[in-house]
Amino acid sequence: MIRNRRFTSLVLLLAIFMVMGFAAFCMASSEGPAVPVPAPAGTTPAFGNWYVIGWSAVNFLILLALIYKFGYGPINAMLEERSATIEGSLKHAEEVKTEVEQMRKEMQANLQDSRKESQEIVARATKAAEDVKNEMIAKAQEDATNIKNKAHAEIVAATEQAKAQLKDSAVVLAISAAEKVLGRAINEDDHKRMVKDFVNEAGDLLC
Amino acid sequence: MLFGMWDGVFFHLGPIPVDHLVVTEWAIIALVGIISFMATRKMQLVPSGLQNGFEAIILFTYDFFTQLMDEEHVAKKWAPLLTSFFLFILISNYSGLIPGAAHVEGFQPPTSNWNVTMTLALITFFSVHIAGFSEHGGHYLHHFVSPSVAMLPLNLVEEVAHPLSLTVRLFGNIFGEEMVLAFLLFLAPFIVPTAIMGLSMLLGAIQAVVFTLLSASYIGAAAGKGH
Repeated sequence: MIRNRRFTSLVLLLAIFMVMGFAAFCMASSEGPAVPVPAPAGTTPAFGNWYVIGWSAVNFLILLALIYKFGYGPINAMLEERSATIEGSLKHAEEVKTEVEQMRKEMQANLQDSRKESQEIVARATKAAEDVKNEMIAKAQEDATNIKNKAHAEIVAATEQAKAQLKDSAVVLAISAAEKVLGRAINEDDHKRMVKDFVNEAGDLLC
Repeated sequence: MLFGMWDGVFFHLGPIPVDHLVVTEWAIIALVGIISFMATRKMQLVPSGLQNGFEAIILFTYDFFTQLMDEEHVAKKWAPLLTSFFLFILISNYSGLIPGAAHVEGFQPPTSNWNVTMTLALITFFSVHIAGFSEHGGHYLHHFVSPSVAMLPLNLVEEVAHPLSLTVRLFGNIFGEEMVLAFLLFLAPFIVPTAIMGLSMLLGAIQAVVFTLLSASYIGAAAGKGH
């Protein structure tokens, strides 16, 4: 309702404006309301003014040429260039992708080779170390055996020597003792034979 | 001096008379030309500013006319002409709303004169047949006798009716609108014409769109698969 009332008021206001304007115009003009937009004198308001048609056709074609020259032409060229650039970029990206894939494969192969090689190196080193260890152990064992044998031989030799010395000392002691007991010197040879027999018997008992 | 909507010779270029509206057409050409030149002066691969706007408009016209005409290559071929129609008619229509239009020497809205609208309609007329022949060759003539020879007179009438309707529609609308405005200005010079001027803005755009759409549909029909 309020809207309708406003609308009616507006129409009324417009009507008043128009009537007042029209009245003012009529009063101002001594000849009453004239054609507001008269045709200029000496010209024909006719349809088919060939000069206007010709000019308009030429002007429109110039406009078309300008729009093509400065609008569609450069923008079409730019769109084509952009399309070519994008295509080129995509192609390049594809190439780079292929290259990267190839490099990745190569790298993986290299990595596998390196891993294999390192494993071989470790295995070789382990084997070498094992060999050295075994060799050293064998050598040590051999040395130990040698030392043991040598020591044993030395011990045997020393024992034999000590035995011989002991026997000699015992002979001398026995002779001295026998001389004192018998009071006389016995023949050297008998003496030695007797002592030796004694020592041998005593030695067997002692050792 | 009032010269209204009628032809009025402004000056003579040698023996050729130059009307006021022709001078206005030159101004329109200069305006569109300068804006286009500015927009595409420094083309960049990554667009910005005016170039961006122009590219968007041009791509829009391609899409729009492709949808209307069904065939992309036809739309691309005729889009510059149709865009020129639209811009020329739109700016001409709006030029009537600028203070001083039809009252200042050399400033007369071109589309309020039916010689101009007829010129545009004739350009559409010839474009339709050029499009038809260029797409279908001699086979294009068959559409004058389709579906049967008996339809030839009607088809011919239709061919004539197209430019005639284009001429009268545009001229009638804009001339009528200008006349209403002129009368209103005499009757109630303040405030009242503003509403009509707002309406004229809408009318000017609608008439530009209507003329362009009809031209596009005529060209599309002639160049389309129907023939």
